[in-house]
Amino acid sequence: MTTTVAQTTQVYQVFIKASAEEIWDAITKPEFTQQYFYGARISVVPDRYHSLGPDDAVWGDAGVEEFDPPRRLVHGWRSMYDPEMAAEEESRVTWEIEPHDGGVCLLTVVHDRLEGAPKTAASVSGRGWTMVLSGLKTLLETGKPLQG
Amino acid sequence: MTDDDLVFKALADPTRRHLLDRLFERDGRTLTELEAELEMTRFGVMKHLRVLEEAGLVVTRRHGREKHHFLNPVPIRLIHDRWIDKYTERHVSALTDLKNRLEERR
Repeated sequence: MTTTVAQTTQVYQVFIKASAEEIWDAITKPEFTQQYFYGARISVVPDRYHSLGPDDAVWGDAGVEEFDPPRRLVHGWRSMYDPEMAAEEESRVTWEIEPHDGGVCLLTVVHDRLEGAPKTAASVSGRGWTMVLSGLKTLLETGKPLQG
Repeated sequence: MTDDDLVFKALADPTRRHLLDRLFERDGRTLTELEAELEMTRFGVMKHLRVLEEAGLVVTRRHGREKHHFLNPVPIRLIHDRWIDKYTERHVSALTDLKNRLEERR
């Protein structure tokens, strides 16, 4: 059981100097996500997670399990930008926003249920989520997207 | 200490780097699993894990009665963005240009 949790769950965390509401908007609205999420225009509404690539291709389309602004968002994940990964089973992404003292929030991203998606797991674990979170932090703290 | 100081301090120890490498190999291990790989007391491993946690390099999550340790590479990425990019910018942008050009041709 330990092995299952270990191999199929990834956890990422970052402190961001922004309000929970600002972070919530930045992860659910396309005008923000396109500045840090590999150019993807992501929109999340209570019943649907939808992501469009810069070329208007569908990069993601999944159900929303929990929609609790500005604290908690849980949605399905399928990497539709790659045919091999798109064929894998759906996994799950959880966003937790936890306000701390000093105007900062701790943002935690848990990507789990990856047992049926080994290629996706490998792909998101390298630069994948790390680039997204450092880009999101830079955007919210400086108002500018990360260079490069 | 600033966040960067905590990360540099946490990385400035071979045992802690070894623990990160073990988690990179297989993420989400329990203390008992990590302890089995090191010739060190449980208390010693816990102490090192606490330094890694304070630096944000390790995040723990509970699943039932078990506590799992996950490698969080984001602080290293932030240091990379803050320090390394500045010194390698020209080099990297040349590679990015090349990548873009090659991908356009597909």
